[in-house]
Amino acid sequence: PAGGVSLRLCSTRVALEGINKPVIDRIIRVDHAGEYGANRIYAGQMAVLGRSSVGPIIRQMWNQEKDHLKKFDELMVAYRVRPTVLLPFWNVAGFVLGAGSALLGKKGAMACTVAVEESISDHYNSQIRTLMEEDPEKYKELLQIIKQFRDDEREHHDIGLEHDAEAAPAYSVLKTAIQLGCKAAIFLSERI
Amino acid sequence: MTRLAQPPGRLPGQGSVKTAQQALSSLTARRGGLPPAGIGLPCAVPGRRPKGWARVVRCQLSSPQRPLQASAVLRRVSDEQKKEPLASSSQQQFDSHPTDPQPEQEPQGPRPSYTGQGGQESEDYESEEQLQHRILTAALEFVPEHGWTAEAIAEGAKTLGLSVAAAGMFHSDGSELILHFVSQCNTKLSELLEQEQKLVQLGEAEKKPTDQFLRDAVEARLRMLIPYIEKWPQALSILLLPHNIPSSLNLLTSMIDDIWHYAGDQSTDFNWYTRRAVLTGIYNTTELVMMQDSSPDFEDTWRFLENRVADAMNMGDTANQVQSTGEALVQGLMGAAVTVIMVESLPIFSISQPLSAYAKRILR
Repeated sequence: PAGGVSLRLCSTRVALEGINKPVIDRIIRVDHAGEYGANRIYAGQMAVLGRSSVGPIIRQMWNQEKDHLKKFDELMVAYRVRPTVLLPFWNVAGFVLGAGSALLGKKGAMACTVAVEESISDHYNSQIRTLMEEDPEKYKELLQIIKQFRDDEREHHDIGLEHDAEAAPAYSVLKTAIQLGCKAAIFLSERI
Repeated sequence: MTRLAQPPGRLPGQGSVKTAQQALSSLTARRGGLPPAGIGLPCAVPGRRPKGWARVVRCQLSSPQRPLQASAVLRRVSDEQKKEPLASSSQQQFDSHPTDPQPEQEPQGPRPSYTGQGGQESEDYESEEQLQHRILTAALEFVPEHGWTAEAIAEGAKTLGLSVAAAGMFHSDGSELILHFVSQCNTKLSELLEQEQKLVQLGEAEKKPTDQFLRDAVEARLRMLIPYIEKWPQALSILLLPHNIPSSLNLLTSMIDDIWHYAGDQSTDFNWYTRRAVLTGIYNTTELVMMQDSSPDFEDTWRFLENRVADAMNMGDTANQVQSTGEALVQGLMGAAVTVIMVESLPIFSISQPLSAYAKRILR
């Protein structure tokens, strides 16, 4: 079945010697969980607002998140990282957040996007700092990927602002609540 | 009959060492492992680079919580050994190269180059961990006879030419021996799977289907237990002791992860966990069956393994089937519900206009 996982000839792997395995493990695990969650958030938003005027924009951002997720899937296999146990939970929670914010209207959906993307780009920035402190040369490829993704998320954040996210009902409360949730999700996914 | 193996760092002059060895065994035999207290402790002779046991002593002394008797005994014994060859001709020192038949982990340094200072450690210093590994590996030979106990470790130490009190370095219940053995088996399995993978990559071998691969990997790993099968139930119970559980669990999970990795698993969702959980179940139950198996070459065990792996494969298929049946069912019910609602709602046509206006406002 297409939804099943493919078993290939051999698992591709990068040179695993000499890297700081615990740090890289955490980084890849939490980023994978983050992109997975973002995927589900956009899916929830599309389910409600798919046929509205912001539908195409959300779909475009959603496609970029899908690419990000695919990239982290590959990295996860290459570095032999375990995914977080909470994936099924983020599956549901992400969709509910997306659909819930979309039910508050288009501006609500954009506010959710702004909050989440701001959280994620801050998080990517701190990861870039960590990797730079460790060894920029050794982790060059990973750094490049994370920088690229950070720029993409920044772009989504700006798109959200352009579409009147700040005019959403209870914008500051919504934003704070969502960012708190993101922080908790990041904390848990790094460890569990 | 203990082998008189050449002890590490033995000084030149073969004959004198045999005498020392004999002296040692007579000493240890006399007092059940401890030489008589009356032996003097000469300091390290200047010009002799400390090797072997003396080196062990130095690192032993740095970790005082391990029994001091062990280190004291080792020191006495090493000095005892040093005394003997000294008594013999010193001209022989530079004549013959000391041959060391044991595969040493420390590289043989240039001879003679004595640093002369007793407290210094030379480049080919053997770490305590390496020494422990060597003792445990040697001890495995005695497990079928003595079980996973300190006696086996003591026997292993004896074959390396160390005092039986070296077993004091380890836990009295034999945990380290078992963990060492399991770790060794896992490493062997990884190497085996790596080699197989290379052959497949080079095109010299066929890629096996998943169930075949899992069966072969688990069988290969369980076959490593065969020489120790009599005492393995004892080992399993020791591995379940609370203070051993973190390590044994760690070893188990990394082995299962290795097997799946080489099987080509690329899952990045919850399947990652279900697959490993299933394989762990298969491995553990097969191991238990193997304990009770008395068929020739454990045929029953391999047949049991085959059936369990087949079950696991079927489980995956069954899960998919259930899911698609469920989806079809839900769609059918939804269709039925919509039809019923449409039929019943014909009289409610009057409110459809304001309803759609409201919907438009929300979604704008």
